[in-house]
Amino acid sequence: MRLNILFGGKAGQGINKVSEIVANILSNFGYFTFNYRDYESLIRGGHNFNILSISDKRVGSYENKVDGIIALDENTIKKHKNKLKKNGFIISFEEFKDLGRNLNIALAGALVKILGIDRGVLISEIKKEFNSNETVLAAEQGYNSEKERFKIGKLNNKIKVMTGSRGVSLGALNSGIDLYLAYPMTPATGVMHELASRQVENKLLVFQPESEIAVVNAALGASFTGAKTMIGSSGGGFDLFTEAFSFQGQSEIPLVVYLASRAGNSTGLPTYSGQIDLDAALRAGHGEYPRVVIAPGDPIECIEKTNEAFYLAEKFKLLSIIVSDKHLAESEFSIDRKENSVLKVEVKNKVGKEIVKKSSYEHDEKGNTVEDAESAVKNAERLLKKYGELKKEASKFEMIKIYGNKNSKNLIIGWGSTKGQILDAIEGLDVKFLQVLYMKPMSDKIREELEKAENVILVEQNSTGQLGRIIREKTGIKIENRILRYDGRPFASDELEKLIVEKLK
Amino acid sequence: MTAQNKKPNLNTKNEITWCPGCGNYLVLNSVKTALANLIASGIKQEELVMVTGIGCHAKIFDYLNISGIYGLHGRVLPTMLGIKLGNPNLSVIGFAGDGDTYSEGMEHFIHACRYNADMAFLVFDNRAFSLTTGQSTPTSPLGYKNKAEPLGEFNFPINPLKLALVSGATFVARCNAKDMNETSRIIEQAVKHRGFAFVELLEDCLIFNPSIKEVEGKMYKLDEKKRGMDEAMKIAGEWDYNSKSGKIPLGIFYREEKPTLEDKWPQLSDLKKKKVGWKGLEK
Repeated sequence: MRLNILFGGKAGQGINKVSEIVANILSNFGYFTFNYRDYESLIRGGHNFNILSISDKRVGSYENKVDGIIALDENTIKKHKNKLKKNGFIISFEEFKDLGRNLNIALAGALVKILGIDRGVLISEIKKEFNSNETVLAAEQGYNSEKERFKIGKLNNKIKVMTGSRGVSLGALNSGIDLYLAYPMTPATGVMHELASRQVENKLLVFQPESEIAVVNAALGASFTGAKTMIGSSGGGFDLFTEAFSFQGQSEIPLVVYLASRAGNSTGLPTYSGQIDLDAALRAGHGEYPRVVIAPGDPIECIEKTNEAFYLAEKFKLLSIIVSDKHLAESEFSIDRKENSVLKVEVKNKVGKEIVKKSSYEHDEKGNTVEDAESAVKNAERLLKKYGELKKEASKFEMIKIYGNKNSKNLIIGWGSTKGQILDAIEGLDVKFLQVLYMKPMSDKIREELEKAENVILVEQNSTGQLGRIIREKTGIKIENRILRYDGRPFASDELEKLIVEKLK
Repeated sequence: MTAQNKKPNLNTKNEITWCPGCGNYLVLNSVKTALANLIASGIKQEELVMVTGIGCHAKIFDYLNISGIYGLHGRVLPTMLGIKLGNPNLSVIGFAGDGDTYSEGMEHFIHACRYNADMAFLVFDNRAFSLTTGQSTPTSPLGYKNKAEPLGEFNFPINPLKLALVSGATFVARCNAKDMNETSRIIEQAVKHRGFAFVELLEDCLIFNPSIKEVEGKMYKLDEKKRGMDEAMKIAGEWDYNSKSGKIPLGIFYREEKPTLEDKWPQLSDLKKKKVGWKGLEK
């Protein structure tokens, strides 16, 4: 069973609240939900919509054809009516014109009725969220206005709803984060808000300095003292970190960085998604020094990989970058598995106890500036050796994952936020899916998988196939068959399925 | 143990590569005197941490036997701030250049004054980018000719003291680097000050910009007294960093106790109370 419901309206009308109420009820009933948020870079007005996909099995995407539309304004019906399935339903704002700002609550009530869920469940959920009689009345009015179309019964699943932003935050907390420094930039800000809201009870500090340049240099200052420090931004802010990445490489002060991409170049499409900054994550910063680049594909992997990023940064005194995007950061995923056990992140630091010098210049082991040729060679070779050790350590973790039909000769390769879309699209197809999580270091098993396969398809949300390029650089194998999308919107799973089937013909 | 043995060793074995006669030798001496006094007054040598930018001033990193970060050009202040956020019990001293601070690092300068973290910031102001062979900085005088601007500097210099005052610095001072007694005394006061202390050290660059020598006769020492903001601004305006006329006051222009960054953040107050950095905190 799978249902897709679209909620649309103007920014400020509360569409997120409608999908949240319904998603909460459904998760409590043991259903998996996936909530996609499509919104523009404005605060009031415009047109925003969510698509909530509901399933009795794991789901990580939405479908283009929807079963119902919840319209908070006229525009929603106009824009999305063509997506409605033949027997689909529309619940319109027109029916509740007198309700004012409780319109969204009435619509949630109406939808709950359509799904065939008891009135009592709705009312207790509303009471949990709001403490007002008016809201309860609005929910009841909505509930009474519709007829049951479905019969959603209870399932035996234990489900939590989580965004990628929350996953990264939990991973940081599991690692014992002390400081999170950031300058606001969508879609990275979710982590900043999440950690800021829990800072005092979790004993950490979230600080917003004057710019991303200040963020990264302050982070290195803090990490120098032994504080577990993380910074975050999106593409433009990430670019401002760049000079200090090289400083990190030279000074070997540990640093963890969270990069959440938007779509497009420069300011681009601030509230839309793209896998466009993998090249930047891998190459940003002048010089040659080791780094870790990890791309989780769902909120649980965000928890685990953020923890690994901290662990490797502290163990090898290096730069760890976690790559995410708007789709992973802000979509709401259902999860039913617990994360892997937490790695203890140990900090070795003597600042305050003895004299410690760290430098952006070429230096000897005590931190004194040197300019001789032998030292330059010695330092470069030490960093090369460190990369080798890092590679060995990283191989203890899940650097890739394989899904689908493990014996299939048809191989899909993807990474990051397309994971949920690919998993949903390949259901029932004779396809193996290789998810790449470690971009640097990269697993040697990727070559083996490529050599075993007869048909290889690369799926990415960018226009040049950035992962494909890195794989080619690493293996010499060029993946000719590519499904690329670069309009800022994720693949709908029904649409992606068609594209894959076509490529395999 | 005799008193002699207790004297801290602040020297390193690194060869000093400043030009012969450079004012930085004098500053290095003044810094050492100030640090020795601070250590004698109870600050542990291991708890002194310096941050330097990039430029001639920054070579001091190799000549001082204390912990520190040899950072990036223009980024001394955010690096210092990070150290305070990481462990507010450390005494943080920043050494920066005029180009470093007032050109590439200007955004940080204004905000550091505003944050009022408890740290001391010393600017070696020789009014030129010397390590890159003499280009103009925001405190170079009008008409200053250099290889990048053979037609001379067209822009009027800024007045860093006024800027610090209006931005909220709680300790603002200026020294003539040649006066080592006074310089070391003021550095010591700056480190002891609770809050953000800014000290301008005027010096010549003998190779590229020996213009301070020309105005030395105009310098005078300020009385040590409490001043309001208006009076401090007025004195700071006596020299505009350009004209060869007018008086150049030296000393502490302004000093005020205000809540520091560490006072305002409960997490940092807690670290101060427990006398640990984040690393030493039980979670």
